[in-house]
Amino acid sequence: MFRQSRPPDPDQDLVTRARQGDTRAFDALILKYGDKLYGLVYNMTNHKEDTHDLLQEIFARAYQSLGSFRGNSTFYTWIYQIAVNLTLNFLKKRKRRAGLSLNDPESSVQQDPALVDHTHEANPEQQTRLKELQVKLNEAMQKLSEPHRMVVTMFDIQGMSHGEIAKVLKTSEGTVRSRLHYAHLQLQSALQDSWNERF
Amino acid sequence: MKPTVEQLENLLALKRDERPEEGYWQDFLCEFHQRQREQAAKESGVSALFQRFSQWLSDLGPSKWAYGAGLAYAAVTVAFFLSPKGVDVEKAPAAPVNYQVVPTPAPAVEQLDQLDLSPSTQGSAGEQVF
Repeated sequence: MFRQSRPPDPDQDLVTRARQGDTRAFDALILKYGDKLYGLVYNMTNHKEDTHDLLQEIFARAYQSLGSFRGNSTFYTWIYQIAVNLTLNFLKKRKRRAGLSLNDPESSVQQDPALVDHTHEANPEQQTRLKELQVKLNEAMQKLSEPHRMVVTMFDIQGMSHGEIAKVLKTSEGTVRSRLHYAHLQLQSALQDSWNERF
Repeated sequence: MKPTVEQLENLLALKRDERPEEGYWQDFLCEFHQRQREQAAKESGVSALFQRFSQWLSDLGPSKWAYGAGLAYAAVTVAFFLSPKGVDVEKAPAAPVNYQVVPTPAPAVEQLDQLDLSPSTQGSAGEQVF
């Protein structure tokens, strides 16, 4: 029986060099995947400082664990899994602390200067409308449960396939589809009023 | 009116373009290296061993419970064999009893056969004679 060959990891060279102590190689990996992981963590935590601290922890954990990375998946999948696990753990702890209620998103989130939308700079009116709608969307996202928010973030925002999400979350594609369907229904209902006003 | 799934997906897709502000990653890298240096300095201590052990445990995933149970079992077993087997305790000599029991004479009991229970006599206890 033939074993299905996997395409080589595009980061193999950087990973090997980083393992040998080349910090510049690991810096290159941070710069390569930083934005993607930032998007994941920020959309899950909705908090700028928490995102920053978590990203430091994620990359530090990955750097320390490079020796145990066996190449069974790509480096990106591996570090993405680290990010997902640490983020979910962090959210559990934050919930327990109850210092920040997820139903009460931070005011800074709604107009966070850390995140810049580059898409509609040419049309200020449309940008304003979209911003208002996105504030509603952010609020609705925070009302989703963590597993549902995670799936929406990975599928709709990060553009991952159902299969990739299932692999990262170690669940079935059916579960991913089901969570996504439920989350979309929730978001549609939450945006109902705002949508009527705007469109 | 609700947005359709497609409209919702389009709205969510706009968030793909969200990025941290310029210069963020340069500052991030500086802080990352600073933290790594601090970590390296810390790791020279004894705490490094413990941290690595706890890191190893957390990396084990669900099997950490099996390892934990095994370690706990081993610890209990070692403690059992290393604990003292019991100290010989000398028995304290019994204290002499200075109290002597002197038997008191039992009160005289009137023998039944010596009693005259015939109906002709009146009982000494005042019982009625029929």
